[in-house]
Amino acid sequence: MTPNPLALIAEVTHRCPLHCVYCSNPLQMVAKQAELSTDEWVGVFQQASRLGVLHLHLTGGEPAARTDLEELIAGARQAGLYTNLITSGLGIPETRLPKLVDAGLDHIQLSFQDSKDGPAQWIAGAKGHAYKIILAEKIRQLPLAFTVNLVVHRQNLDHIEEMIEFIEQLRPDRVEIAHAQYYGWALKNREHLLPTPEQLDSCMRAVEAAQTRLAGKTRIDCVVPDYYARYPKACMGGWGRRTLLIDPSGRALPCHAAGVIPGIQFDNVREHSLEHIWQESAAFKMFRGDEWMPEPCKSCDRKEQDFGGCRCQAFLVTGNATATDPVCSLSPDHHLIEIARAAAADAAQPTWFYRAGV
Amino acid sequence: MATTGRVSSGAIALAAPLPESQPRLAAGCRWATHAEKPVVLYPEGMIRIQGTGQNILELCDGQRTVQQIVATLAEKYGAADPAKIMGDVCSFLEALHNKRIVDY
Repeated sequence: MTPNPLALIAEVTHRCPLHCVYCSNPLQMVAKQAELSTDEWVGVFQQASRLGVLHLHLTGGEPAARTDLEELIAGARQAGLYTNLITSGLGIPETRLPKLVDAGLDHIQLSFQDSKDGPAQWIAGAKGHAYKIILAEKIRQLPLAFTVNLVVHRQNLDHIEEMIEFIEQLRPDRVEIAHAQYYGWALKNREHLLPTPEQLDSCMRAVEAAQTRLAGKTRIDCVVPDYYARYPKACMGGWGRRTLLIDPSGRALPCHAAGVIPGIQFDNVREHSLEHIWQESAAFKMFRGDEWMPEPCKSCDRKEQDFGGCRCQAFLVTGNATATDPVCSLSPDHHLIEIARAAAADAAQPTWFYRAGV
Repeated sequence: MATTGRVSSGAIALAAPLPESQPRLAAGCRWATHAEKPVVLYPEGMIRIQGTGQNILELCDGQRTVQQIVATLAEKYGAADPAKIMGDVCSFLEALHNKRIVDY
């Protein structure tokens, strides 16, 4: 019997006013006409709660592009879910924010692209930085948990200390310093996003200093980017082990990027129950457990810790979804990661592939 | 956060509660039941709170002071030493404060 999932990621839309160069959405996005309706989403939340899910992550695209976001939050809370909103803040006018809280929102995670307006606009391909600062001040006055998310990469890591000081002024409960991950749009821009080893070292030092300075006030999380890790991350806590993601059209995936792996049929919540999808669908069973594992994973004593790493990354880098995650120093394909790091070190001034609109 | 006792100890900022602090669950943190056990949900996940921890945290309503919580627990546990209870309660609350689950 498969254990119940604990978290549901609901990509309620792929529409977004920003065009961030490291967006984790797939290159092929879902159009507005194909999105699940309010009732369909609320039905999914009720099923998720019965299945044992505790946390709902409302994300996108920009979830506030849904005019029914208040209803989605209220439906999720009535279903008993802890409700997180992952947002750029754009599409949430100051007058809308209290309505989201009244609907039952528990936690808001607001993204920033930089501490400064110009670089933020350069990365996002759109204006919005100044409004995010105004919104952060309003969020702080409301009774919900507040996290600031900042994606870091080669182009902004040289002023990491300044960015942390900027975020500190916003007084969030939590800060997530997230190194760009190379899927979707970020993979297209990888050679301009991958940090240097020196940037990585100074980032970790700046984060540790801030963690000490802000202890008891703001909690700061930062994870080593996996291209520089010795072992892979336990992606999603293991394929089909803890989390499921529903895309805007109702397709159920084990993670954000799984759609890139060829030959997988993803079942849709319009046709199957969430319980059936979790327990029985071929997509969720495909890399569950260790049957699928090649060596050196299969006999590795870390296989219960990292579950062989990320299947999507294995496919995107090696062309084989069942390969050992190439970021692992034990992977026979690890040289591909070393080549990517070397290419990034030689990269010239960026020409970005901006995330497309829907 | 105005009542936070912030003691500087070298480079490390400590934020232990004071006897007059009034602890409460932080905004966005709340009780729930999971697998028939009490848990507190917070943005990154959930934390199982049982036994003594549950007894302490259930008294953290933003009204009672740490001193009052300790007195209530001392009464409940009869012979227990109030100074020891004070130490246990403070370190429990400080750990949850650092996770941003408890405010005072």
